[in-house]
Amino acid sequence: MTHLTVEALLSLREAGLEPGDASARAHLDGCPRCRAELERLHQRVARLKALPALRPSRDRWPQVSARYRVERRNRRQRTAGLIGLAAAASIALGVSLGPRGNPATNPGEQEIQAAMARSQALENALSRYQPDQRVLDGRTAGIAQELEDRIATVDRELEMADLLAQQARDEQVLKLWRERVGLLDALVDVHVTRASNVGL
Amino acid sequence: MTGTQLMDSYLLANAESVVARARAGDEDALEELYRAFEAPVYNLARRICRTTEDAEDVLQETFFEVCRSIGRYREEGSLWGWVRTIAASKALMRLRRNKYRDTDELQEEAVGQRREDTALRMDLEAALERLSETSRAVVWLHDVEGYTHDEIAGMMGKTPSFSKSQLARAHQRLRRWLGEEVEG
Repeated sequence: MTHLTVEALLSLREAGLEPGDASARAHLDGCPRCRAELERLHQRVARLKALPALRPSRDRWPQVSARYRVERRNRRQRTAGLIGLAAAASIALGVSLGPRGNPATNPGEQEIQAAMARSQALENALSRYQPDQRVLDGRTAGIAQELEDRIATVDRELEMADLLAQQARDEQVLKLWRERVGLLDALVDVHVTRASNVGL
Repeated sequence: MTGTQLMDSYLLANAESVVARARAGDEDALEELYRAFEAPVYNLARRICRTTEDAEDVLQETFFEVCRSIGRYREEGSLWGWVRTIAASKALMRLRRNKYRDTDELQEEAVGQRREDTALRMDLEAALERLSETSRAVVWLHDVEGYTHDEIAGMMGKTPSFSKSQLARAHQRLRRWLGEEVEG
């Protein structure tokens, strides 16, 4: 007589019916050895579940907490730094456009400047709103977190764009600043609009 | 109420208010979460990882992720289920990173053979420890934590068939090492 394999016995423990389970069950009904094997399997799993819980020998909370604090501080500094960066970039762009006397000769740079100014205005608005000190529901906090992560990605790409050649850099920078403005718009919307809707 | 939701209330009676405070960045609330789930997270990590150091690192990485992502936790499922999935993912990531992973199958074969030769029966704890890391992870996640083969496959980046065959292989070995094989 061919007995059931471990695979077949394990399959019988699953909720759904796999192909071959019906014949395996039929075999099981008439085979005391396979029934005993299945019982041993059940007992083994029960013994696994009953193994004593292992506990850490050291408290790791101080490390978790310290690392989390550093990350929060860095995030705040990054946001504050970016406001400064946007302002400085606007000034620098203004200076570089200045001697030419006619900024309109380079519409791309003008657009970049406008996007930077808009980005800065949005960051200022957000900073005044102090989102870190407000309570959000889980879904909203998740959306805000995702937007912040995407803004951070755009910022990294902006840094990388400095390495590109002039024309490619202008196009890429304009694209990224526009994207940044869009994300910040959404972030302001998430924080401020939602708060006004619920009367915060 | 599901098993994992029951675990929530068992581990942390006032889970809802603690989560709300944790989302607002309250560090005391985050520590309450850590204290509530520290033991089960470590146990899961230790059962999957080879060393206590790895398991403690997984514990730390899990709670760092919990602190960062608590705002993303959707209250549709249980809190323990959410934390546990982070822990399992971190533990499996640690397995993938460890260099000795590729050699432990050979080691397992050698140890298994030696044990059989000397007709030495192991206890369950020792037998579990002797399994390859991948097999042990599948056994623990499936048989103890209750994950399905589809879920395990998703976490491991493998197929459900891989998970099933690892489980079968592990049980064959456990049966042999525990001296449960039936003659005839």
